[in-house]
Amino acid sequence: MSKITIPLGPQHPALKEPENFMLVLEGEQITGATVNLGYNHRGMEKAAEERTYMQDLYLIERVCGICSHSHTTCYITNVEELAKAETPKRALAIRTLFGELERVHSHLLWLGVAGYEMGFETLFMYTWRDREQVLDCLEMLSGNRVHYSINTLGGVRRDITAEQKAGVLKRIKYLEERTKYYISLATEETTLLARTQNVGKLPYDVAIERGAVGPTARASGIARDVRKDDPYLIYGELDFKLITHNTCDVFGRLVVRALELMESYKMIEQILNNLPEGPIAVKVPWRIPAGEAVNHYEAPRGEDIHYLKANNTDKPERLKVRAPTLANLQSVAYMMEGGWLADVPLVIAAIDPCMSCTDRAVVWNPKKGKKEIYGWEELRKMGIEHYKRRGVDFTKL
Amino acid sequence: MTLDSTLTQLAYLLIFPGFLFLALYGMYLQWLDRKLCAIMQNRVGPPWFQALADFIKLLAKEVIVPDAAESRLFRLLPFFAMAAVMTALVSIPVGRSALFGFQGDMVVVIYLLTIPTVTFFLAGWSSTSPYSTVGAMRVLTQLFAYEVPMMLSLIGPAILAGSWKITGISIFFAANPILIPTQLLGFATALVALQGKLERIPFDIPHAKNEIVGGQFTEYSGRLLAFFYLAIDMELVVGAALLSAVFLGGSLGLTRWAAIPVFLAKTLAITFLLALLKVLMARIRIEQMINFCWKYLAPLAMAQVLLDVFLKYRLG
Amino acid sequence: MSDFENEEKIKASIEAKFQGAVSNALVQRRNRVWLDCATEKLPELLGWMKTEGFVYLATITGFDEGENLGACYHMTNARVIVTVRVKTPRANPSIPSVLKIFPGAVSYERELEDMFGIKIAGLPAGRRYPLPEDFPTDQYPLRKDWKFVPPAEETEAK
Repeated sequence: MSKITIPLGPQHPALKEPENFMLVLEGEQITGATVNLGYNHRGMEKAAEERTYMQDLYLIERVCGICSHSHTTCYITNVEELAKAETPKRALAIRTLFGELERVHSHLLWLGVAGYEMGFETLFMYTWRDREQVLDCLEMLSGNRVHYSINTLGGVRRDITAEQKAGVLKRIKYLEERTKYYISLATEETTLLARTQNVGKLPYDVAIERGAVGPTARASGIARDVRKDDPYLIYGELDFKLITHNTCDVFGRLVVRALELMESYKMIEQILNNLPEGPIAVKVPWRIPAGEAVNHYEAPRGEDIHYLKANNTDKPERLKVRAPTLANLQSVAYMMEGGWLADVPLVIAAIDPCMSCTDRAVVWNPKKGKKEIYGWEELRKMGIEHYKRRGVDFTKL
Repeated sequence: MTLDSTLTQLAYLLIFPGFLFLALYGMYLQWLDRKLCAIMQNRVGPPWFQALADFIKLLAKEVIVPDAAESRLFRLLPFFAMAAVMTALVSIPVGRSALFGFQGDMVVVIYLLTIPTVTFFLAGWSSTSPYSTVGAMRVLTQLFAYEVPMMLSLIGPAILAGSWKITGISIFFAANPILIPTQLLGFATALVALQGKLERIPFDIPHAKNEIVGGQFTEYSGRLLAFFYLAIDMELVVGAALLSAVFLGGSLGLTRWAAIPVFLAKTLAITFLLALLKVLMARIRIEQMINFCWKYLAPLAMAQVLLDVFLKYRLG
Repeated sequence: MSDFENEEKIKASIEAKFQGAVSNALVQRRNRVWLDCATEKLPELLGWMKTEGFVYLATITGFDEGENLGACYHMTNARVIVTVRVKTPRANPSIPSVLKIFPGAVSYERELEDMFGIKIAGLPAGRRYPLPEDFPTDQYPLRKDWKFVPPAEETEAK
């Protein structure tokens, strides 16, 4: 049979973000696959060197839309470590709470995307409806659904009231019921099993060789979770299980994520019921003493790792962000080869890719054939004017 | 032939139960299917005129023919598909009896209903883009999977009724409604096969958007695409009508105008079942589909045929 | 420092094994070890560390210190992060590739080449990452002296 090369991306219905997979097909089977990246590079690491630590906080939050809290927490842990700031316990607990809420929202999103990629639209609709509950929680606590901006240098911006606590607990109860239903659905529905079992195999040793992280690694039987291995925030005090699965396929990744949801609900309840008293933030100096720090964080998709080098000024000397997707992408080509074309979207989705996290750049914005470059001041002015036209004036605040 | 009878004939062909009815009812069923899925999936769903609006909008869009495609074939295929479906309806009873029924018309209908699938294949193949090529191969592979169970399950009732005329079969079951429940197995297999013929979840493999974008229709646009979609909508009506006539006793021997509500009720019920199948399942892979059709569906349909032979023997 | 017994042990074993090649080893805090390594010894060191349980190369961070360019190799066994620093002169920057030991490191090494212009000896030719193919090959955006200059002519949308 003759070979066909199919481009999957940069623009493709299966992909939420630009990336490119060139697939060589023999009939329906894949004989070769290459992964091409870089369509989404935003130059964030360079940009971070030209901004103050506080501005960088909001820049880093925009590394990714889904794991925005993961990146800022990892970044801020580095900054506070170098500044030797004693972050209050209550702030750490609130950060942990947001981290887990974020995991819930990311994993529910993933369940929906996986359903969509295997053509199971009902699952997609159901999980995304339920995801609204956790987004409501986040909005109630922070004022935003996705970019919560709860972190600030030295602590968190907002405290949690008793009312909010009750609201979150109520929604988490509901989500727990729903997740139990999804787990039973995932383990019983015939077509879903047919589409996920023995698909995208990633054996234990290959997963280690290629440096897989997060649920992808845990579904290959690797007991690796930063929350357990190198506890940060208040994870050391929480009672939760490290979920692994040994089927090494998409089904395993699905089960791992679903069971992690249950663990996250458990943790959220623990945190809210034992919230330490005290202030929520301390002052951190604008100038950070020279030094280097490296920290990792278990984001919903896997291990985030940030490196920060300070040089005694208010701007970082060097900031490096490694998102989990870049580590996991090395495994994708392996998982696709020899598989079916029909499984490709699912295999890609199974690592829960986040290309924006991975690439981070694009220096300018060609706008309708005309190149326009906005400086920080201009952007700020434009933003203020934009809202003024809509009757909101931020300059008066 | 008088002018009067010619006009009547034309009305039959163009208005009811011909083109106009088929097109409008097809769009209605498409909307109903979408609305039902939406309700079952916890969504709002489209407004009642959505199918018609989509059709009109597509008609207004530019038609782009790929340079590498055989232009004339590329443009004609949607009309072949539509014509085949419309011709099939001529032999299927919409009221009490079909417009033009004859012994053996069932075989002709099965044959005519295969033509749209073949045009889908040709559409994908002549587009020459990688996505549509893969889609075209999948259309053809899938055809060999569902066509056999479909044919086998339609043979059963024909044997029992002793007639190869669809109207004859439906009259037989209308006269012996007690025998309708014995056809349940055949009805179920035919329903699943019809789902495959209409390329709906879990068998929407040829145009699985996450894998191969638009599949065989990737390069189609404008009114050509609109007519393909219309042909598929019509195929839904014809398929549902065929199943209701062959397995459910058609309009139960009622006279012309009383028969129509029965016809509508049965086709709507079949559409509901098809929508239910669509909502309940994930899309399967092409090789799983072939396994499923040959390993389970075809033997089940065969069992129905044997049951019908046995019943026929007992009833004399 | 008895607080960090495990970390001290890792540090001591590396220092013992690679005497002369390793300098400035430091246990910064729990689970963090830093050390400098002679550039040519890097693959050997990482290869040895891999057999000692440091099976993940988390990422590679390039840096620009003026006369020297360099890279931090963040090695981890999931618990402890050992950061291995190597330096290379700006005039002729070159670091040996570690692909033989960590095949997953290919995109990190390409990033070093693209963003810092550090030649990775032994990195096979391939598509650029993360910069586009038409980006000038003599510009390295993450070097400290690089400033973004908008190209003179306007690009027309085709």
